[in-house]
Amino acid sequence: MYRVRAWTTLTYLTPMIVGVGLISLYPILYNIFISVTNQNLYHFRHYSFIGLTNYQSLLKTLDADFFIVLARTVLFVAVCIPLFLGLGMLNALALNHPAVRFKAFWRVALIIPWAVPSYITAFVWKFFFNGEFGTLNQLYRVFAGPQAGLPWLSEPNWAFASVVIANLWMSYPFFMVVILGALQSIPSELYEAAAVDGAGAFRKFWRITLPLLRPAILPATVLSAILTFNTLNTAFLITQGGPFTSAAKPGATEFVMVYAFREAFQLFNFGYIAAFAVVIFAMLFGVTLGSLRFSGLVREEAR
Amino acid sequence: MLIYAFLILMTTFALFPAFFVVQAAFRPGQSLYTLTLSLWPDHPTLDNFAYIFTKLPFPTWLRNSLGVSVGTMVAGLIGSASGAYALSRFRFAGKQMTLILLLAIQAFPSVLALIPIYLILKTIGLIGSPFGLVLAYMSIALVFCTWNLKGYFDTIPRELDEAALIDGCTVTQAFWRIILPLSLPALAVTALLMFLTAWNEWVMASVLLLDENTYTVPVGLWGLQNDYRVPWGYFASASLIVSVPVVILFLGLQRYFRSGLTVGGVKG
Repeated sequence: MYRVRAWTTLTYLTPMIVGVGLISLYPILYNIFISVTNQNLYHFRHYSFIGLTNYQSLLKTLDADFFIVLARTVLFVAVCIPLFLGLGMLNALALNHPAVRFKAFWRVALIIPWAVPSYITAFVWKFFFNGEFGTLNQLYRVFAGPQAGLPWLSEPNWAFASVVIANLWMSYPFFMVVILGALQSIPSELYEAAAVDGAGAFRKFWRITLPLLRPAILPATVLSAILTFNTLNTAFLITQGGPFTSAAKPGATEFVMVYAFREAFQLFNFGYIAAFAVVIFAMLFGVTLGSLRFSGLVREEAR
Repeated sequence: MLIYAFLILMTTFALFPAFFVVQAAFRPGQSLYTLTLSLWPDHPTLDNFAYIFTKLPFPTWLRNSLGVSVGTMVAGLIGSASGAYALSRFRFAGKQMTLILLLAIQAFPSVLALIPIYLILKTIGLIGSPFGLVLAYMSIALVFCTWNLKGYFDTIPRELDEAALIDGCTVTQAFWRIILPLSLPALAVTALLMFLTAWNEWVMASVLLLDENTYTVPVGLWGLQNDYRVPWGYFASASLIVSVPVVILFLGLQRYFRSGLTVGGVKG
């Protein structure tokens, strides 16, 4: 760390500061401005200030769209993360097992879903879930008879599960890679010592592996939870946020970002969604700061 | 043995969708819409590939995607490298504030920033233009690249450039002659991650591009499904063309994914 003249610092920082200020920060500030106006399809050019009305309609009652969408998204994250983590862990343990051969092959095969662009992932799974021609129902008919079919995308709970499955497919490799990396850094002496002391496989996993994986798993989990909370592509492209049971209520897979996207660019409720964005952002920033403080990253940055 | 059974099961789960795209790409006409289960087309053909290149504006979309992605990559890197160096090495007032501000900006989901970006681009007349889309991508790219490069610069031993400074090097020389050459791998990885992000992005592009001739590949492909019968064969062959290089690039890069922040830029 060195002291340099103020203008040197300024010269070095200028491109980034100007760029970030104009392209990243200004839209966010502008968003706060929009959130106190009634700008929408009917008041696109001639909008007026309406104070905190958008925030009021956002949060007025517990059955407002905001809370429905938020609760559904939190549930989605709560279902997804243990599945991602569990499957990632199983794969990592299998890949780390000393008896397994051709590790490089398995590793590459298992990581491929992560590499596929998410809009293509959505395209493939949308076809799989298709009620009539979809691969999953074709398989199902082999066992259940020609008339059978599961309501993958037409029933609310099934649609929710469908989006979970598509997300599981594309998200478990991240945990697999993180956990495998951490597994390989655990010294084998620890297991040998435990074996000498008479510990079984389960006890070794519980007492040695898991505690030593924690520092790797925790930040990965927070990051993945935030990304899952922000799910848009898979949900929107597979289900459009539906199925919708009533016109006035959000659809069964209308998670936070899907809701924002639909309200903003299909219904053009700009002012309302700008307020929605401010509230969601405050929550996400809180979580980010909290988790960084938790993992000690901020202290390290401050040095 | 149990482990192999598990690995085979998992590999099937992982690879089947990829295999599905491959076989759909070589399947003639609408024969994907059959009620009988078949794993490989009876008469594989290249018709889908020929169609997307001759009857659809797919070559234009490829060019647009390439231009937008390269633009985002280059501008993101140039705009952030010196700032990242300052944040990694200089001591100055307001540094912690800057870092927290960058963190806050990164926590603002790009979907939610779309409304103001849309309105701003409309005001300055760049809505529908690929240049406007690059600007929108820069709102993510600059912050991401700054974090990423700063993280890498931090791992270069301070003694190296401090020794150079003691020997009479200027700060600028230390940056150009020591830090940047040592960071070439990190610069390359950051650039490629930025490229991938822009190449795979659908949401912003779908809102900010209005005309078929300016579409990037993701928007163009999803636009195809206005039909009642989605032309899956075209979609599959196009998907194959855009994702095979990307998958290979990704597999080559993934051993460089050091921190969570790096990972965060790739998907979503």
